[in-house]
Amino acid sequence: MIEAFRSLFAPPRHFILPIAALWIGLALAEKRSESHGVSREQLNNLTFNSLIAYVLGGRLFFTLSNLSAFSQSPFSVFSPNPDLFDPTGGLAAALLVGLIYNQRQKLPLWGTLDASTPIFAVLAIGVHLAHFAAGTAFGSPTTMPWSIDLWNANRHPVQIYELFASLVIFGWLWIKKPNPHRGIYFLTFTALTSAARLFLEAFRGDSVLLFGGIRLAQIVAWAILAVTLFALDGLRRESPANAERYEV
Amino acid sequence: MTILHRRLASLLVLLFGLVWIVVSADRTGSSTAGMIPAPQAGFPAPDFELQTTAGETIKLSNLRGQAVLVNLWTTWCPPCRAEMPAIEKIYNEYKDKGLIVLAVNMTYQDTPAHIAPFIAEYGLTFRILLDDTNSVGSAYQLRSLPSSFFIDRRGIIREVVIGGPMAEALLRTRVEEILK
Repeated sequence: MIEAFRSLFAPPRHFILPIAALWIGLALAEKRSESHGVSREQLNNLTFNSLIAYVLGGRLFFTLSNLSAFSQSPFSVFSPNPDLFDPTGGLAAALLVGLIYNQRQKLPLWGTLDASTPIFAVLAIGVHLAHFAAGTAFGSPTTMPWSIDLWNANRHPVQIYELFASLVIFGWLWIKKPNPHRGIYFLTFTALTSAARLFLEAFRGDSVLLFGGIRLAQIVAWAILAVTLFALDGLRRESPANAERYEV
Repeated sequence: MTILHRRLASLLVLLFGLVWIVVSADRTGSSTAGMIPAPQAGFPAPDFELQTTAGETIKLSNLRGQAVLVNLWTTWCPPCRAEMPAIEKIYNEYKDKGLIVLAVNMTYQDTPAHIAPFIAEYGLTFRILLDDTNSVGSAYQLRSLPSSFFIDRRGIIREVVIGGPMAEALLRTRVEEILK
């Protein structure tokens, strides 16, 4: 079954998984967006504007950081090849466009983030599935009985661990009663996701290592977790009169 | 749960996180690949030995010290055909800097009689290898054509591009990376 899945979604077909996840996440988020102070139409526009910015921004950043290569073949800018892409640049462009849209529509920032949380949660599931299909973000070698044969070794099925964690996080957030304070929903998702990454990164076989074998992703996840817990504490401490609240 | 309890729980989580970071550190210092060859970025490239169309025997590991682009292709695959002129151009541009292109024809799923006219049609000057037993296709876990593996001077795969056609700029950026 694992092999059938990996064959069906072998690269470059694995890209369909995060795209499908984005679509499902958006459909789910739309159901509850009004309760976060964001209309369905606004959430749709925000998502599609950010998506377009991600695609164009990723290509633009890649082009700018490899200008000499493109100056000799400028038409490569229009190539459909997805490898001509800078994901960090794409993410930065998507965030920027999202923020601009949010401000122009005068949407509440925490409300928008809460409304978008199901999109992020389902997208995470799609990304882990894509990693599993492509064999990327792979685990370290192990002798555990549930190991999978990947890249010529028996490895931790770390993509499955991460997929399972994402499913639990999404499921828990989806059935949880919404907190009346704005921002709690999004911050809870961020805290759980960074905690999961902090824990599961230990089983990855492709970590970027710092001094003493410390894994960079764990440091980043720990820092995000610390900031998120601090922010959660701050939001919960706000007196009911000052806090942004939903009409529930 | 009171505020004090929440804060204590948060502190405990963060403390556990720090301990986990230290405990789970990778002492080997090379979590990425180790010494297991595999067709994935960060791993040593699986070795192979094949004959070229000219009858020359090429062993990948003998090319250590040079940057190698291994391209798996067939004559009937449209994106393989489409990217050949760009590969030829990049090869001519960078061969003096140490680039070697090994275009491995998946002969076991191609028509051998079509290979020579193909080479002539595109004026290919790099080495064309014939994989008539699927040895390279199997070692490189071929799933889509074309597939390209950019191998640096130490024999480590730096980038894998599945599918095509590769744009000239993409080839140039990846080749410059493995020539470093």
